[in-house]
Amino acid sequence: MSSRIDHHHLPINGQILPQPCPHLVEFRSRNGAKPFRALQDCLRVKPPGGHASIRREPNEVPRCGACGESGGVTRLYACLACAAVHCHAPPGPSHAAVHGESMSPGHEIAVDVDRAELFCCACRDQVYDRDFDAAVVLAQTAASTLHTPSSIVRSPHPENLRKRRRVDYRPWTPDPRERVLVGSCSSPLNATVLDSCSRDFPSGLRGLNNLGNTCFMNSVLQALLHTPPLRNYFLSDRHNRYYCQKKSTVVNNGSKSNAGNPTDSRICLACDMDEMFSAVFSGDRTPYSPAKFLYSWWQHAANLASYEQQDAHEFFISMLDGIHEKVEKDRRKTQSQGNGDCCVAHRVFSGILRSDVMCMACGFTSTTYDPCVDISLDLEPNQGGSAKMVSTKSNHSCNGEADHMNLSQNCGTSTLMGCLDRFTRPERLGSDQKFFCQQCQVRQESLKQMSIRKLPLVSCFHIKRFEHSSIRKMSRKVDRYLQFPFSLDMAPYLSSSILRSRFGNRYFPFDGDEPDASNKLSSEFELFAVVTHTGKLDAGHYVTYLRLSNQWYKCDDAWVTEVNESIVRAAQGYMMFYVQKVLYYKASEKRVVP
Amino acid sequence: MSVPNEDKMASHAQLSSHFFGDLLDSIIVDVASECHRIARLGLDRNLEEEEEELKLSAQARERVADPNNSGEANSKYVVDIFGQTHPPIASDIFECMNCHRPIMAGRFAPHLEKCMGKGRKARLKGTRSSTAAQNRHSRGSPVSTYPPYPNSTSTNQLSNGTSGVAGEEYSNGTFPES
Repeated sequence: MSSRIDHHHLPINGQILPQPCPHLVEFRSRNGAKPFRALQDCLRVKPPGGHASIRREPNEVPRCGACGESGGVTRLYACLACAAVHCHAPPGPSHAAVHGESMSPGHEIAVDVDRAELFCCACRDQVYDRDFDAAVVLAQTAASTLHTPSSIVRSPHPENLRKRRRVDYRPWTPDPRERVLVGSCSSPLNATVLDSCSRDFPSGLRGLNNLGNTCFMNSVLQALLHTPPLRNYFLSDRHNRYYCQKKSTVVNNGSKSNAGNPTDSRICLACDMDEMFSAVFSGDRTPYSPAKFLYSWWQHAANLASYEQQDAHEFFISMLDGIHEKVEKDRRKTQSQGNGDCCVAHRVFSGILRSDVMCMACGFTSTTYDPCVDISLDLEPNQGGSAKMVSTKSNHSCNGEADHMNLSQNCGTSTLMGCLDRFTRPERLGSDQKFFCQQCQVRQESLKQMSIRKLPLVSCFHIKRFEHSSIRKMSRKVDRYLQFPFSLDMAPYLSSSILRSRFGNRYFPFDGDEPDASNKLSSEFELFAVVTHTGKLDAGHYVTYLRLSNQWYKCDDAWVTEVNESIVRAAQGYMMFYVQKVLYYKASEKRVVP
Repeated sequence: MSVPNEDKMASHAQLSSHFFGDLLDSIIVDVASECHRIARLGLDRNLEEEEEELKLSAQARERVADPNNSGEANSKYVVDIFGQTHPPIASDIFECMNCHRPIMAGRFAPHLEKCMGKGRKARLKGTRSSTAAQNRHSRGSPVSTYPPYPNSTSTNQLSNGTSGVAGEEYSNGTFPES
């Protein structure tokens, strides 16, 4: 199979339509898209959610008009000009080709009756057309909707998905007046500490003191301190702790006394983060003690406030929640977490997951969208047996290079992409979990499939290494190694890709596709932090590896050391943080306050 | 006699074999057609990049497992990249924001727990016993008799209980398992 073809039409989300052969071009110029639309009446989709096929009558059994063959390796093609059906079975006879030749010109283009694929009898090859694919998709989606706008195709976005238009990035530097202003209200940082070899170390690299079983907190804080959009937010003074505290004091004094704890409104995890960013990026390299942060967090998460070691992921969620909650109390900001308008925590980490539940009886699909700040992934259930090789989803490459195949087949390793494949795989809901189908009006067995409708700026993947058996009343930690890439392309897990593959990979804009080609870039992520856990369930240790200027550092509480990337690749990842390679800027919704 | 029956069975077998062959061929053509479409529309994933990552990870694991390679030193006893050394228990002293007493950094969390009246120990004042220690160790289990409030319902936490027994409140559970 040939791979790359020259662009001919505008791409949809990285897809390209190959250049049509001269026979298809002529067919199009002579007939337009009419024959494809006429085919729609003959498009049958069976079973629900299955392939489309072409049948004049529902129970028609097509056969070659010349020889009566049907079935097996023999493909049957219906001529688009005269509807005659002929066989094509290379290297055997091709009555389809004969038909095309003998009735030439105008009868070269036919359609595979079992697969709804266009075929050029002259070129003897499958060909592709945008309008034909559109007709097939529309026929396929007709069954899954209740005569309401389909959530399959691109449609007006629901509230939480509405996007703002993109604007060009404009670099900024202070003008002379601003420079004076900045200079008058601040003082320069100390020169960076140089080591014995007089090397410069990245700013913001600073150990965190363990305050007593707090490595779970330190590990997550280190990752957050180096999460690019979060770091930029705080270092750009977008949350000024002095201003925030002053405001909440005013609010406090102004409001009537209530039963609530009067100090509550002064707790602000974002303020504590602001203080931590200032300290960690100050140039002082002695370990910082996040004591104030711990104090504030314990007041926010009362049920987690104890000296015992906690779970790092639980802390991460609790912390983001703490930042969000404070914002909600402050102003009547939009609660919409999905597009991150509510607070910096959601702005950075929140994505939107799409869940499709399809009735297996009629094909009706019900779709819901939910925001999420991270993705928790199960490790594969059995070791060795379910080896994730290369993607089994959209790729059946004929690449037969021996060592590549051996590598993936023999290692039987769990991989992050394998976990994501499983996360987005269609899952049959058991007969005890029947879903109410709006079309059938009864509970039916269903197929559920997750996909990512909107990627966050920063993707946090949490690996469920804790196995809890309520039957045996015990818990255990899964130490199995999980391979994770340093560069990750999330495109195959997007809703548009998942939908596209569900509908036979047709050339069509699906929900989530961008009109421009920028989607390809915005699905590429780079790893920048890994939180690892070593040791046993009840006695273990968290450590974070950070990637700064392509050098990896190990942050083990107060101790920051340099490590080779092999150490990171071989480590037991518990939480992996990836950031979008390319950031896009959106027009601000509100007017900028000078 | 038996001969016509054998013939019938033979032709049945042939027929089933023929149908099976047709079905199998049809499925193979399905796959070929799908692959053709995927390749032509440029939907193939970046196989090379993925393979490269897998290879690098495999190499990395080999390198790390090799006893000849100097592994990660136990960082509690090394000098950090800034040339600093640190005691196993952080010795900075600062003021507790609750009670304003000076507290050592490495003992701040246990102090704060009592100071704020949070956590099990604060509420269980006077009930220090071996059962308390037992329950601390089994913190991962679903049913724990002590905490009066429900712990977080997340079943995916890696909770690490405190090491040590009841009397040792300040045991430092931060050393990695060797």
